[in-house]
Amino acid sequence: MSSEALKQEIRAALDNTTLARTLGTFCKTYPAKREKAYEGVDFEATRNKISEVKRYAADHVDEMISEFTKNCEARGGHVIVAKSKDEAMEKIRALVKEKNVKTIVKSKSMASEELHFNKVLTDDGVLVQETDLGEFIIALEGNTPVHMVMPALHLNKEEVADLFTDYTKVKNAPVIAEEVKTARKVMREKFCTADMGVSGANVAVADTGTVFTMSNEGNGRMVGALPKIHLYIFGIEKFVKSISDARWIFKALPRNGTGQRIASYVSMYTGATEVVTDKENDTKEKKEFYAVILDEPGRRSILAEPEFRQVFECIRCGACLDVCPAFALVGGHVYGSKVYTGGIGIMLTHFLIDEGRASEIQSLCLQCGRCKEVCGGGLKITDMIRKIREKNAKEHPNAIHKFALDAVSDRKLFHSMLRIASVAQAPFTKGQPMIRHLPMFLSGLTEGRSFPNIAQVPLRDIFPTIEQDVPNPKGKIALFAGCLLDFVYTDLARDVVLDLNSIGYLVEMPLGQACCGCPASTMGDVENATKEAEINIEGMEAEKYDYIVSACPSCTHQLRDYPTFFEEGTEMHKRATELAGKTFDFCKLFYDLGGCEESGDGKAVKVTYHDSCHLCRSLRVTQEQRELLKNTKGVEFVEMEEHDNCCGFGGTYSVLYPDIATPILEKKIANIQATGADVVAVDCPGCMMQIRGGLDARGLDIKVKHTAEIIAEKRGLV
Amino acid sequence: MNKITDELYERFKKNLESVNGTCVRTSKENLGKAVAGIFTEAGIPDTCIVETPLLKEGGVINALEEAGIKVYTDHIRLNAETVKGGVSESQYGIADLGTMVQARDVIDERIVSTMSEYYIGILRGSTIVPEYDDMFDILAELPELPNFVGFVTGPSRTADIECVSTVGVHGPLQMSVVVVDDE
Repeated sequence: MSSEALKQEIRAALDNTTLARTLGTFCKTYPAKREKAYEGVDFEATRNKISEVKRYAADHVDEMISEFTKNCEARGGHVIVAKSKDEAMEKIRALVKEKNVKTIVKSKSMASEELHFNKVLTDDGVLVQETDLGEFIIALEGNTPVHMVMPALHLNKEEVADLFTDYTKVKNAPVIAEEVKTARKVMREKFCTADMGVSGANVAVADTGTVFTMSNEGNGRMVGALPKIHLYIFGIEKFVKSISDARWIFKALPRNGTGQRIASYVSMYTGATEVVTDKENDTKEKKEFYAVILDEPGRRSILAEPEFRQVFECIRCGACLDVCPAFALVGGHVYGSKVYTGGIGIMLTHFLIDEGRASEIQSLCLQCGRCKEVCGGGLKITDMIRKIREKNAKEHPNAIHKFALDAVSDRKLFHSMLRIASVAQAPFTKGQPMIRHLPMFLSGLTEGRSFPNIAQVPLRDIFPTIEQDVPNPKGKIALFAGCLLDFVYTDLARDVVLDLNSIGYLVEMPLGQACCGCPASTMGDVENATKEAEINIEGMEAEKYDYIVSACPSCTHQLRDYPTFFEEGTEMHKRATELAGKTFDFCKLFYDLGGCEESGDGKAVKVTYHDSCHLCRSLRVTQEQRELLKNTKGVEFVEMEEHDNCCGFGGTYSVLYPDIATPILEKKIANIQATGADVVAVDCPGCMMQIRGGLDARGLDIKVKHTAEIIAEKRGLV
Repeated sequence: MNKITDELYERFKKNLESVNGTCVRTSKENLGKAVAGIFTEAGIPDTCIVETPLLKEGGVINALEEAGIKVYTDHIRLNAETVKGGVSESQYGIADLGTMVQARDVIDERIVSTMSEYYIGILRGSTIVPEYDDMFDILAELPELPNFVGFVTGPSRTADIECVSTVGVHGPLQMSVVVVDDE
């Protein structure tokens, strides 16, 4: 599939107003609901336990399979371990045939979707009924799930009523409560007459041979209670060792999945349970219970790759979807695998469904890191997506990206290109401080926002002219400017210097520095990222300084990440570690060095704050900058809603997917406006560019300032 | 077994109510009256019931019949297809969640608690544990896990259409728990 086709799918998803409304509302209310559900529960401790018990099971997977098999069979169950999806489906077909099964009721099983269960058996003439309301609706529509937990979010009640009217041949009113009643009635009959029930497992317990199913609707219970034959289908990633281990998963799963403290039903089946085999005579017998375990190559390949093994710790809660700014806009269909969507869906699609599709959809990730914060299994989702991106960049290099990244990592070439740009842009700026219109080929850049000028004189030429009056310096700090401070926001760089001077530190700008390598890393170009790390380790000479300061959290994050580029024990690793240990983001360093004194001109100004993804989630700095602002006389500080939501910049993302980035920015701007603030404080020049451009394009008179600028201004340092 | 404290009962009740369930507390001798009262108020004309010693001692069937409610005690699988109510006893409760726990493999109990429109679960107060973890500790220490264990928390629900939370899909539309004080 071409990128163009993906972009068209994105546009179609964005044009679905029902999806926008329901998904938008859900994603907006989700964080607060989730937080409330966790009251009294230590989330970090819970997910650490989940990770621990799931990792144990992954490390002992063969033992899990054999123990489960032994224990389930000892309690009257039958276990089939399938070494491929085809084998799984063939065995199921044979079973269905042998038992003369004509009708099947299914509660949700994603593993069965991987097998194309419904299609294969329907083609065999078996009546297969999805019973989860959302799954039932999309089956009527002939569509695939738009969300892992809420599959039919893209349809409104009117569309559902039409589907039900077609199906029942009775007019259905577009009233949700009535539609739910229709579903109950239609499905009840199916439950009562089905020959076989099919379930998916949330967890399988090796020590007892138990499978767990959680549901709200009760269809899971019905599937397990009524038909005489019960078939479970699940993958080897669902194991834990003991019943006690399983508890951790059900602590996080409902809270993360739907913001519930527990779902209506959690059921545990151990072997063959009792069932009524003849209702007229009230005959009760043990049911025929089968478990098909998918032990196929895709799952084994996850286990074989150390960088992706963590995927086995996923509990399929869907939280990574619910907090993803891109998912909130486009929903699951553009992820295209027909089974798994969102952040974790990219990895699952890569290993279990379609590598090609995964290599396309990985580009939807902004790398904002919100998914990592809420992940029930503590998976480093964004890091894994980046690894897929790296694999992808290596296998299918993009000539234009490659050229751009090569150019950035060639310091001299990049600098001269930017200088040329600073002259060439003149026709477009029309003497205004913002570029409002760029030529057609860059039109994606300007949709919904303006771009700043490239500085006529770069920072490296201005730096020596900054007067630093520090009589008895406490120490020496190296400034890592990064591209945006070096070539666009040179005034901000000056303010950083003056702020640090004011608390007794001298600042130098080592001229050997180049781009930090973050753009290359984000785009999966390890080669250029490593090259840039080498240049900067040489260029910054960390050994000579007390600290290294950066006013861009993405640069700070990248510099602190340098040791991972080199093999432990090497000289470069040693130097990278020294540099990483000394590198801090401006607000953190300024605060820690005693910069948080109560001072300022006292002139009233209302300030709100936008958290940059890298600063709050990678560097975990959220309080220092707020303290600095709150302690500035005259500043009235007000939090905005969703203050730590991404602004949509995401490095090159806003160029690649303007259709997604623009509405993300719109939400941010609406939240800013709602505060009534005069100034939005930020700590990231990328966010500054994005938000400033958005405000400017809408003609809004709200200033965007870096914390360092506000301090310099209010303390009279400039 | 210790008698349930007022605090623990209130916790159970509050949490069950927060998920659209209701809860009453009664002595054993008043159990039948309590169950019949709930169904009478809700206009439930008939019910399936899975009797246990507690329900027998509490005179549940008598009380229901006296209240004019038709009671079915056998052919539950068949009768549950048309009968509105369901009554059965469960083995444990979890106060922190308002959850009742079925921990034995009796199919009729599963049927009445799943297929009815209005389900009433009966719990001995002494079987209600404070926390979710307490319940898992009990299950983990059982010499053998029953073939079926089910946590039931409130009526069935869905938010599958437009994310609007709606009560009662495949399982009960209404659910009550009657907590019986131990003597």
